[in-house]
Amino acid sequence: MINQTLWGFIKKELWQSLRDPRMKFLLFVMPIVQMTLFGVAISSDVKNIKLAAIFDSKDIVMRDAYERAVSGGWFIPANTHGEQDPFKMIQSGAADAVLIAPPEGLTHSIPRGDAKVQLLADATNVLQGQAVENYLRNIIQSTMMDDLHLTAPVSPIQLDLRVLYNPSLETSIFMVPGVMCMLMVLTTMMLSMVAIVREKEAGTFEALVSAPVSKSEVIFGKTIPYVIIGMSNFPIVLAVAVFGFKVPMRGSLLVLFLAAFVFICTCVAMGTLISTFCKNQQQSGLASFLFMFPAIMFSGLMFPLENMPTVLRWVAFFDPLAHFMGLLRNIMLKGGGVQYVATHIGILALMTTVLVMFSFRRFHTNLT
Amino acid sequence: MNEQAKTQTSDGPRQNFRWSRAVAVGKKEMFHILRDPYTLALALGLPLLMVTVYGLAIDFNVKNIHLAVDDQDQTQTSRRLVDTFSSSGYFIVEKAYDPGNVLSLIASEVARAGLIIPPHFQTDILAGRGAEAQVLLDGADSSTVGAVTGYMGAMQTMTSSRLAAFNPPQIYEMRTRFLFNPELNSRWFVIPGLMVVVMAILSILLTSLTVAREWENGSMELLLSTPVQPIEIIIGKIAPYGILCLSAVSVVFFVARFFFGVPFVGNIFVFILGSVIFLMTYLAQGVLISVLTRNQQVAMQLSMLTGFLPSQLLSGFIFPIASMPVFFRYFTMIFPARWFMQISRDTFLKGSNITELAGAFFALTVICVLMVRTATRKFGRDLE
Repeated sequence: MINQTLWGFIKKELWQSLRDPRMKFLLFVMPIVQMTLFGVAISSDVKNIKLAAIFDSKDIVMRDAYERAVSGGWFIPANTHGEQDPFKMIQSGAADAVLIAPPEGLTHSIPRGDAKVQLLADATNVLQGQAVENYLRNIIQSTMMDDLHLTAPVSPIQLDLRVLYNPSLETSIFMVPGVMCMLMVLTTMMLSMVAIVREKEAGTFEALVSAPVSKSEVIFGKTIPYVIIGMSNFPIVLAVAVFGFKVPMRGSLLVLFLAAFVFICTCVAMGTLISTFCKNQQQSGLASFLFMFPAIMFSGLMFPLENMPTVLRWVAFFDPLAHFMGLLRNIMLKGGGVQYVATHIGILALMTTVLVMFSFRRFHTNLT
Repeated sequence: MNEQAKTQTSDGPRQNFRWSRAVAVGKKEMFHILRDPYTLALALGLPLLMVTVYGLAIDFNVKNIHLAVDDQDQTQTSRRLVDTFSSSGYFIVEKAYDPGNVLSLIASEVARAGLIIPPHFQTDILAGRGAEAQVLLDGADSSTVGAVTGYMGAMQTMTSSRLAAFNPPQIYEMRTRFLFNPELNSRWFVIPGLMVVVMAILSILLTSLTVAREWENGSMELLLSTPVQPIEIIIGKIAPYGILCLSAVSVVFFVARFFFGVPFVGNIFVFILGSVIFLMTYLAQGVLISVLTRNQQVAMQLSMLTGFLPSQLLSGFIFPIASMPVFFRYFTMIFPARWFMQISRDTFLKGSNITELAGAFFALTVICVLMVRTATRKFGRDLE
């Protein structure tokens, strides 16, 4: 299959992409920078919530609860600049949540049995709003128990919760596979797409077609180099994940590379197919964005796929990122179940085949 | 160095800025866009499609979690426990036959969580000894772990109450008012943020590519030899894209308001002002990228890296900035998307006025001025 022409093609394409030192930098240094950046920075945890509390200085229980809240790590004291109106505190962004003790004080209202604490929470960020309520409910409860020397009645049914694969809930272990996935799709898909569209724009594609090379030589010559680049990129990204972020590698390295290879092929094939629809780089830029943004959103990194409407779950089924994300997590964190891995690599391979077939047909109609 | 550059340009023969020339370049670019309906459709249709899909899809409240259940007790009580889980609406029960099977169902992604009920569960409860059931959670899936952990407290209370008639008196009551989004609607949170991401990517991508193309095919040199000044070229080239992006934003805005019912309680002019400054910054960044790279392939990679990823991941769109390590809480300040994210969300939901957003506007303006200056200067110098 690899004949002289194809080999020449691949060499030319690789050289053309890599001769630009900036490109080398973007391909081999930027992934490390980005992995580090995004791996450290992003998490869906809710921390450092600005909490204010309105209570009388003699209200011991309330003061204890507030102090316990701000020393626990989730909350930080809000700087309210002497603002008295709790609503304004939140609206101006000085506080994210405000606790308001009952008028006669929480300490006094407990014996009377009508202790009511009011909480105002900024729910602009839905996740934060919910988390704030949960955290504070527990903090106040336990403060009251301790201050009043009550012992909490033990619930007769205990649900003993164990989180598998990531027992300490390390954020980087959740997020890093997702970031890996994104970086891989960015480089491979975009590069292959831009390479073809550039030739189309410059008009050299017509020259290529009139040259004595076959269609498959053109297509493979234009795609294989980017698969090679992607495959040389993957170990770098993986090394940062495993050595930099201590993401466990429980499965077989060989299987992981196989999964990466198939995924990269899917991305390159996707890039190629998109490029057949685009006349210039601007269009290809928009088209890749059209693909990439939903692909990242539907990958399961940002929000759960379980409760989407059925139609959209089908859309997510066609998202190669969702499959690769699943594979990365399954192989790296769970050790890779044979059936799961085989199924999803199979799906990716099938996608690649269909995409390549489509590209062939598109090339054909484009050229005649 | 700067002084030198200044004197050079002012000593040059074409020192007068003329709007007419900028308009002429703009007209040409406008024709260019209009002649290519595909780009136009993509630029306007894409945001529309995205806001629709996200509006329908996004929900952070996790439901329908597949729960693998191994009931070793097989009694009335244990069945009621399983029943409580399945009727809560959060879980869909899958049968498992032993603990190993529960683990393998989770390992093979069939189930996200597991419940193992030990033998003697019913006997323990009836004897008043207290019983324990084990819940296992798939820690590989970040999007469900947090939510399910949160449900467990409620599940414990609910099962204790139903199965063992255990209803401890509440020692206090907490009344929560969720401000600005009382029903905790995920869309209200996501869509104003989505507008920022869409704007960021459209503006930076369109300009960086169009200017890079002129460099690549040499027509920039041609443009130089004409009496058009660099600043006129920049204004002429980016203004049409600014208009295009603003129209895209309006489309998204109307869909958000009237189709998804996202409220807009703030002042529309504050929002528009923010959009304009934000767009100018990103358009300038697009120009800067194209001047620096002069190559569409590199320009596109750079736009993605400096525009797309930060505006999606480091702007507070989904992942809160306050939760980031200290360094990143400051580092993200250099991204205009962070500031505009605040302006967008606060005007949409909180109805903040311009004085309350003064900080964000100030930062955004500073970044904008710096970016425009760097871009024009770099552009001008490269032409000498």
